[in-house]
Amino acid sequence: MSGDCPHCLATINGVSYVRTCQTQATAGMIVDRHPEHGAPPIGNLGHGPAVTARNLFCDTVVIGMGKSGRAAAEEAERTGVRVVRLDAANGQEVIGIYPGPLVAARTAEGMLHVHVAKEIVVATGAADIQPVAPGNHLPGILTARAAALLSSAGIELGRVVELNEPPVRFEGSDRVEAVVVLNDRGAEHRIPCDTVAVKLGFQPRDGLSRMGQGLPVRTVGSAARASDIPPCPNAGTVCPCSGVTVADLESVWDRGFRDLELVKRATLAGTGTCQGSVCVPHIRSFIAARGENLQPPFTARPMNKQATMAEVAAGVWHHPTARTALDEEHRRLGAQMERMGGWWRPWTYGRPLEEYWAVREAVSLGDVSTLGKMLVSGPGALALLEHLYPTKIESLKPGRSRYVLLLDERGYVLDDGMVCRESDTRFYVTFTSAGSTHAELWVRDWAETLALDVRLLNQTMSVSAINVTGPLATQLLERAGVNDPPEYLQHKFADVAGVRCRIMRLSFTGEVSYELHHPAGDSAALWRKLLALGGDLGIKPHGLETLMKLRLEKGHIVVGQDTDFDSTPRRIGHEWAVKLDKPDFVGRQAVLRTNKIQLDRQLAGFEMEGDPPPEGALIWSGADYAGYVTSSAFSPALGKSVMLGWLKRFADRLPDELTIQGKPARRVATPFYDPEGTRARA
Amino acid sequence: MPELERISATRIIAAPDALNTLRRPMLMRVAADEAIVIGSFEESLAGDPHAIIQPETGFMGVWLSADFARSFLERACEWEPPPVTPAFAQGSVAGIPAKLWFERDRVLFLVPAPYAHDFEERIA
Repeated sequence: MSGDCPHCLATINGVSYVRTCQTQATAGMIVDRHPEHGAPPIGNLGHGPAVTARNLFCDTVVIGMGKSGRAAAEEAERTGVRVVRLDAANGQEVIGIYPGPLVAARTAEGMLHVHVAKEIVVATGAADIQPVAPGNHLPGILTARAAALLSSAGIELGRVVELNEPPVRFEGSDRVEAVVVLNDRGAEHRIPCDTVAVKLGFQPRDGLSRMGQGLPVRTVGSAARASDIPPCPNAGTVCPCSGVTVADLESVWDRGFRDLELVKRATLAGTGTCQGSVCVPHIRSFIAARGENLQPPFTARPMNKQATMAEVAAGVWHHPTARTALDEEHRRLGAQMERMGGWWRPWTYGRPLEEYWAVREAVSLGDVSTLGKMLVSGPGALALLEHLYPTKIESLKPGRSRYVLLLDERGYVLDDGMVCRESDTRFYVTFTSAGSTHAELWVRDWAETLALDVRLLNQTMSVSAINVTGPLATQLLERAGVNDPPEYLQHKFADVAGVRCRIMRLSFTGEVSYELHHPAGDSAALWRKLLALGGDLGIKPHGLETLMKLRLEKGHIVVGQDTDFDSTPRRIGHEWAVKLDKPDFVGRQAVLRTNKIQLDRQLAGFEMEGDPPPEGALIWSGADYAGYVTSSAFSPALGKSVMLGWLKRFADRLPDELTIQGKPARRVATPFYDPEGTRARA
Repeated sequence: MPELERISATRIIAAPDALNTLRRPMLMRVAADEAIVIGSFEESLAGDPHAIIQPETGFMGVWLSADFARSFLERACEWEPPPVTPAFAQGSVAGIPAKLWFERDRVLFLVPAPYAHDFEERIA
């Protein structure tokens, strides 16, 4: 009747594993017994009401409001500290102690999360020792205290047998009908009964103390007392939570497990939701009876009471998916939004082919606000970037931009992006959308490691970017007031339709492209003005589906999709982005070393007639496995499918004729589209 | 449901010693080398010619009454709000990185604009 054991678990109103001894009966409540064997059925409860968590902060929390608990709380309060009192009798059932320290308790109103600055006092009293004997699962077996409680409440218990020693066994079918004990002569004596009231001694109710090892936990009162040790059990279930019997204990003992913690792990005794409240004294007795010392109780883990998933999830918030400043614009235009790289991004506005041709033949807008963006300033800015990037930064003149790879110490590709030089001591760098968080940490770590005098400002979330791309992009910018746009791989500040922008001329799509980096607060206005200005130019926004197709036609890689964890610049064909005559950069030694190793595989381009294979499709050279496809799309401009993928070298050369998804494919050079790059530089 | 609005602010990245000399109302010192000032900041920062001083529109925010804020934080915040005002604090609120400015009768909640939509849903 104190919630220590799992014997009274039942399914109440569809929720299983409820301790009925701790549940107030209400009119209409549906109570179903758990099956004798196996788990109870898990009902389909649908989405129940959310359970909220309330956070409390204190210096000391006292768990249990018996005599010793009240004394501990009053003593703490006299010192002027903030005390939180928790009492199961008051509806606050503690289910676990966690690092923090944090004490989690369930209440009728939801969960309480108590954050403790100084001390957790456990004053949970003592629990009756449960009997271990065959039939000890039968209803009608009560502790003496529970029997007295029920009796005083007017519950008819029938013929009651009081038991001060473990019996030989309990007998009965649906409930206890008799108890068999040994008489003075050692013979079995059967006593018919309706209820057995057992009084086998007490053990400290110290599950929370055993859970709080390494945390500031103090145990007081009966919870700190030494446990009574019952006689060694001979048969029956020791751990009702995990269904561990005396025979199981004997089995692991015979296999050499002597330590209480190991016996626990080998049998799973004590790993259930009561965390040893029933089995600990019996297992200690079992081990001591075999000549070992009486070992201290084993560690407990949260939770030591059942909780619903809603209670466990209380106070937990899922990580949100970021929205660009243009999110509402995309949705208003009917975009199909997808989660990509931690952001909601427009996959398509409904007509991907029209979006594609707008880029290739007219002008289009793309939201590239998700790119990582960082300002690097200070006397040490150049030294930092020279160290980070394998490309020469010193030769980059103010107003110029350069494509860069980011390598780790092993020479593998971490990320890529652009470096724009503003002045001798100030740069603007970009990273991939999905890699920007890691890249920022990487940059900050190296700045600190090298003790460089730099200022770093992450602008990913505060600066938006719109890519204006297509053969009519320059014309659109002129209409927006930019008469002198930057040349290819240059950047400059200018007002675009009244919005101050950093204009970066580059190309990921293969057409003339201007990335307009601007304050996020101005983004929606700029987007609308550009769409309006380009109405008669055939302007359309394009989504990610189209962007991926466009960049693939140009053979541009997407780090993380086309690269692997061990992709070197040589393997992906980007040796041109690594200047080994630089005296030093992160990954240089590794690149020098791996360059001496024979290439085993490379990222290569393929083409085939007809529909494209799915990304991840296997590549075959004759009967030999040769690699897999990383990017794949049908190219409307070329009238065939184009792919990037990893390809093994055979006899130190890449095979040319391949089979992908059962169809013939050819290895070809990239870019697939406009290999001279004349359109992007136009 | 409280609606967040884009907040005009200034971000200053500078040497810690230079930032230590800064005296402004509602100065949010978010890191040793970074501060956020609500509104514009036209001057240069004495003591650090390389400081980055940028207008910032990447945050959205809302002022809430102290009582509402206390009630919301009790269920959404696993760290203890400062006991005195005015005060600045930052950390996860309802699972979203937030910066909070506490005054006696009200609290300003600032979150990165990309998370403002989720924050509005969670504060409701």
